Amino acid sequence: MQPYEWMAQDTPQKLWIDGKGVLVWFAEVFGALGGGLYVVSLYFNSLEGMFISWLVVVTLKCGFHFAHLGRPFRVWRLALKPRTSWLARGFIFLALFIGFGAVQLAISLWLPGTAWEVVFKVATGIMAILVAAYTGFVMNYVNGIPFWNSAVLPLLFVSFGVLGGLAVITVIAVLGAHVDIRAVVAGIRLLLVVNALLMVTYLWSATYMGPTGKRSVEELVRGYLAPVLWGGVVLCGIVIPFGIVSFYHFVGVATVPLLIVVACVMIGVFSLNYCLLKGALYRPLIPTST
Amino acid sequence: MARWGMVIDLKRCIGCYSCVIICKQDHFLPPDMFWNRLVIGETGEYPQVTKHVYPVLCNHCKEAPCVKGCPSGAMIKRDDGIVAVDSDKCVGCTYCVIACPYQQPVFHASNSAAYFAGQGLTELEVIGKELYPIQPGTVVKCNFCAERIDEGLCIGLKPGADRVATPSCVNNCPAKARIFGDLDDPNSRISVLVRQRKGFQLHPEFGTDPSVYYIS
Repeated sequence: MQPYEWMAQDTPQKLWIDGKGVLVWFAEVFGALGGGLYVVSLYFNSLEGMFISWLVVVTLKCGFHFAHLGRPFRVWRLALKPRTSWLARGFIFLALFIGFGAVQLAISLWLPGTAWEVVFKVATGIMAILVAAYTGFVMNYVNGIPFWNSAVLPLLFVSFGVLGGLAVITVIAVLGAHVDIRAVVAGIRLLLVVNALLMVTYLWSATYMGPTGKRSVEELVRGYLAPVLWGGVVLCGIVIPFGIVSFYHFVGVATVPLLIVVACVMIGVFSLNYCLLKGALYRPLIPTST
Repeated sequence: MARWGMVIDLKRCIGCYSCVIICKQDHFLPPDMFWNRLVIGETGEYPQVTKHVYPVLCNHCKEAPCVKGCPSGAMIKRDDGIVAVDSDKCVGCTYCVIACPYQQPVFHASNSAAYFAGQGLTELEVIGKELYPIQPGTVVKCNFCAERIDEGLCIGLKPGADRVATPSCVNNCPAKARIFGDLDDPNSRISVLVRQRKGFQLHPEFGTDPSVYYIS
């Protein structure tokens, strides 16, 4: 895009993906992954998984966001306007997840089986879902980018986050934790189908968001972002893992192919977020021919 | 209380970039930053082509997405309708830049940019950094020259009518394409223009109710 085309034509969103903006991309991915992994760990009652998810959110999610801020030492100010700002709400969800999670991990470690453990597990679980989902609401609020104006977006973040969580817990299971690996594989298989449907729904609904939304989808499907969508999201993120887990549904679970599934799912989660951020276009300010 | 607004007459605008330059000069904006811009496009196909020249600036929306989206309370809406940034409160999360459908707020990453790269700051740039300091790592944007309006009002002047109390881009438009005034006053010049010449806002469907109107 040439400087003179700025807002005279569909204008790509660059601030949150180019240059220092890649930090937002990483933060979004690790937010979804951390939240999803906690929910999955809760389901499989894996303390290791819960600890890793907490660590992912504290170090990676918060770290990348912190590094992206222009004035990081004013970070506390991010919580000041939760009444209107999804970013402020997200910051509060993050803080609560970290706080509740720390208490829950401490209780699970030193006072397991108490009622407080259940209370904090539920509270942290709710916060984990919100941590994974809030990015979708943050993006959904931006009405200048039709591609993001979809109610499916928060669902997509949660769904891909949980899928990523299942992938991470597979590694934890392979390393020897007490997790039912067959249930994990069944979960991955189910989530892959759900994610494929959500993806199709999301892209299909975006084509109805006016010419700019349609162009975003076109860039993804057959434009310069097509290799990332088809190679990263569809092939690596859905087709290959689905093929492997379906095959092993019949012949039994093996470690090496499972680790391929994990790697593919991770590539898929990163690629999806990249597509969402890179494919975003602002509507032009003035009348256009297209 | 007034609601300051602007009308831009597209029939008068000659696309000379005076507004862009005077805004940069008055606020000592660094090389890569613009608070006023011209968006130029065309519709139709040869030989039936229409050229569109739209001077754009912050719309100071009544329902500003940047104000609602700002998590830190740095982006504020004053009682007179001007949307301004409190740099001391800005965290630099850049969400206001993302959320603005008109793409007007600008993230100021660092103070290192100079007009003559490698040759240091000019005397004017040094003075500018003292007179109009911009904090690096924060978001900045057009403020309708609020400092001129505030000072003018203090000494009993009327923004839009008295040059001293009127935004620089309005004063310096050679074609007199920009008119400034109170949108809440039904008898003000801009209210009359909006009414009589069917003034329109950019993308009213966003529900932001901009304070900048265009007439053609």
